[in-house]
Amino acid sequence: MEDHEILLKFQDPASRNLAFNQLVRKYQSKVYWHVRKMVVDHDDADDLTQDVFVKVWKHLENFRQDAQLFTWIYRIATNECLNFLSSKRRKFLLPLNDVGAELAAKIEADPAVAGDEVELKLQKAILRLPDKQRLVFNLRYYDEMPYEQMAEITGTSVGALKASYHHAVKKVEEYVTRTTDD
Amino acid sequence: MKTSFKLDAHPRRPHPLSEPPAGYFDKLPTQIMARLPQAEARTAASGWLAWLTPALRTSLASVAVLSGFAASFYLSGTPRLVPSTASTAALDAVPRTELVGYLLTSGARVENSDLAVLTAAHPNIAKGFIQASDEELTNALDAQPSEDLTYL
Repeated sequence: MEDHEILLKFQDPASRNLAFNQLVRKYQSKVYWHVRKMVVDHDDADDLTQDVFVKVWKHLENFRQDAQLFTWIYRIATNECLNFLSSKRRKFLLPLNDVGAELAAKIEADPAVAGDEVELKLQKAILRLPDKQRLVFNLRYYDEMPYEQMAEITGTSVGALKASYHHAVKKVEEYVTRTTDD
Repeated sequence: MKTSFKLDAHPRRPHPLSEPPAGYFDKLPTQIMARLPQAEARTAASGWLAWLTPALRTSLASVAVLSGFAASFYLSGTPRLVPSTASTAALDAVPRTELVGYLLTSGARVENSDLAVLTAAHPNIAKGFIQASDEELTNALDAQPSEDLTYL
């Protein structure tokens, strides 16, 4: 079902639930993986994904359609992730690197990464990036999202995003190179 | 010399972490739909109750139940008291000649027990029409069979 059809059905109270169910089914995987790459842990990603869609439900009636529905949902998901990570630091009074270390430990325990040394180092290198730069890296590298769409989601200019991604790639490559044995 | 790592040369995994549990995306929509706020109408109807604390809501329910009991007691209890007083007062307003005429013509029989019950409930009711002293009345009653004395 196209986005405009979903939105049209959502306006009608009789078909609202059905339309929203279609919306969730359409975007749940993308939202989940976007969140999961930021918080690493499945249970956290599960909670946040549900929170994202509950917020979408609450505000969809006021969605002005001057942005794509997908972009708008991604923006909500992005804010949820950044708030989650910053509240986690505040809650445990942890500095930036300690949360990174906690996420790195979860990556090491992940069976999908275990056994692939280069992939493990790459994931650890990505986790060392500041949250917002990691977000930019994920959107560009994994989701191959155009910079214009990224600009809508993050509220940052295309030029700043390109510079941020360029620096992120350099940092990641340097870390993996430095930590890899000859 | 270390070989420098190039991101472009590394095989890119769209999902670098382990997959979620089997069937996760089948169940997720149901879980999300269950968490959504209920219909607006229901929210509006019970909206003012939502502002009260649970303790206040319990107190409000108790007051409502007690008020119901009090109202039903008042509405059912009061009418029973009024007619007896009213009927006595109405009977007082009837002239004595009419009363005597009614008793003579209707065939109604007034027993000692009737008079005893009436005077026990209203001690002064006989003073207006029985022209006898307390001593005369006591003597007259003492002369009655003993079973009738139980009414005094």
